[in-house]
Amino acid sequence: MTESGPVSGADAGPARGTEGENEIERERAGANRRRWPFWLPVVVLLVGLILTGVLVSISASAYSSNEKRLLDLRVREAGAEFTAAFASVQTPLASAAALADATNGDTAKFMQFIAPYTTGATPTFGSATLWRVGGSQTGPLAAVGTPSELSATPSRAETFFAGTAASRTHLGVIGLLAQPLPRLGYAFTSPGLTGRYVVYAESRPLPANRRSKFQKSSAFSDLNYALYLGSSQRPTDLLVTDLKKVPLTGQTASLSIPFGDNSFTFVVNARHPLLGSFPQRLPWLIGIVGVLLSIGAALLTLRLIQRRNHAERLASSLEQIADENRRLYSEQRTIAQTLQHALLPEALPKIHGVETGARYEAGVEGVDIGGDWYDLIALDDHRLLLVVGDVSGRGLRAAATMASLRYAIHAYAAQNDPPETILSKLSKLVSVGSTGQLATILCALVDVEAHTLTVTSAGHLPPLLISDGTGTFITGTVGVPIGVNAGATYTSTAVSTPPAATLLAFTDGLVERRGESIDAGLERLQHAATANHSDLDGLLSRLLEELRHDSDDDTAIAGLRWLD
Amino acid sequence: MAGLDANDTADVSFDLAQADSEGLRVRITGELDITNVDALESAVGSALERHPGRLILDLSGLRFADSSAIALWVRWSTAVHEIELRDVSPILRRVIDSMGLADTLNVKP
Repeated sequence: MTESGPVSGADAGPARGTEGENEIERERAGANRRRWPFWLPVVVLLVGLILTGVLVSISASAYSSNEKRLLDLRVREAGAEFTAAFASVQTPLASAAALADATNGDTAKFMQFIAPYTTGATPTFGSATLWRVGGSQTGPLAAVGTPSELSATPSRAETFFAGTAASRTHLGVIGLLAQPLPRLGYAFTSPGLTGRYVVYAESRPLPANRRSKFQKSSAFSDLNYALYLGSSQRPTDLLVTDLKKVPLTGQTASLSIPFGDNSFTFVVNARHPLLGSFPQRLPWLIGIVGVLLSIGAALLTLRLIQRRNHAERLASSLEQIADENRRLYSEQRTIAQTLQHALLPEALPKIHGVETGARYEAGVEGVDIGGDWYDLIALDDHRLLLVVGDVSGRGLRAAATMASLRYAIHAYAAQNDPPETILSKLSKLVSVGSTGQLATILCALVDVEAHTLTVTSAGHLPPLLISDGTGTFITGTVGVPIGVNAGATYTSTAVSTPPAATLLAFTDGLVERRGESIDAGLERLQHAATANHSDLDGLLSRLLEELRHDSDDDTAIAGLRWLD
Repeated sequence: MAGLDANDTADVSFDLAQADSEGLRVRITGELDITNVDALESAVGSALERHPGRLILDLSGLRFADSSAIALWVRWSTAVHEIELRDVSPILRRVIDSMGLADTLNVKP
């Protein structure tokens, strides 16, 4: 960004307005990002929990179906044992019935045969009786063991025996469970023979509370069981169980075991997991581990998100700082440029017979103010002093020195000092030993009417005089820069100027390039300044444009052209 | 020997030789401008106070010097009894001449 001409003030207003809007935009974007930072962790947690639930349910159902299969196997095994046990009931009854038929109801033989089954340590039957079928029942023909329950109600016995005789198995089973001493009754009629006799036996009384455990040595000691008469599991049909309360709960397996014209229902569940405790606990284990992993993953996600947000906030605050710096920088640049222009002439004096022009262009893209300046001072109605100077260094110190030199020149010019005296006086104002500063100054005293020029240089580059398409540098005696020694003396060089001549004075920024002799730069200027004719203002603009690109030095240039 | 590199600035380095019978000798190589001239000043300043007799600047390796570098040398010239610039390139020589400082800086060919 450069500023040309003695125009002051760059307006930073619009730029700041745009930045303000950007800031609001960023705030809005930031608010969106911060809306709810927890959604991703929550999703992770939910997905983890759902996966865990699925795994738990799969493992639980696998466990349950395996357990069920095993239980079914066990209940069938147990059922087979029962079926085998039924033979010990059926065989003596069938044999006794056959015997009764064969002996035509010989009670003595019957009692002799059946008696062993009702005695001993574990008798098969509590009682056994022989009945004749048909007619009105009055009681058994013969009886051994404890009194038979059914004998007390002959009519019931008759109905029961009739059913037994009609049944395909010839074996009837009846539950006498409502009695004080509950028991089962078995009746057998011989098939194929005369069928006139029925052998009826009753079991030993069932335990009053129906409780009986498997023996510890039994293959089924790991099962709870309940045995019912018939196909239902009504409590009133319960024969025996090892539990205090029926029905069995949890996972059960049941088996219907036919016996005679009736059946038993055998129900079991497992006291302990049949597969062992690990498969049973596995779903729990999967559940606990899954939940912990889900929570861990969610926390990790949350932490990552927080870190990313933190980084984003940091980045955005850095961005804001950078913006602020840019704003401050541009503000400072504006201040520097404003100050620079304030130190340059506001307007150039108008002298009849000449046109004047000047440019100042800042060099480096920086906030520093430069030490270059130009000045045109009208001494009277036909004389003026054209000044171009360059204080070494940059910044406020250079600018302050430049300002003091510039106003001192005005003061000395006002008291009509000639240029060499002005420079000599200036040399007392600056000392390189104390401030480290030097200033090169070119003073050109122009007499417009007389067409003469008196040039005095304190270490400054020579001015260019252009006339008729030819440029000549006025290289006179060059004195030391201001600041080298106080009271230095200077010598002026006077030349007369042709009509319509143009005088250009400039600072080194216009011609100096690194790695190149200033003579090459001066030649470039000479060529550019004489290349074509234009008005002074156009010439100055063109020179800056053609010669100054890629220069990082400040440049001041002042020109004067005789109109005749 | 003391060496110093100025960072973030134009590339320059300087060597200070022990002062001998001829005086304090400073060799400057690279490019010297407003961005690193302060580094040179602080590197040489204290040695200059100890040896205010004669300062010899060996500029054979100096590719570029701007007006702030020349201003520093002029300042040094006021601080010592005698200064001498050796092996000055033609380009630099031309600048010094154009500023009317050839005598002040005692430029040797």
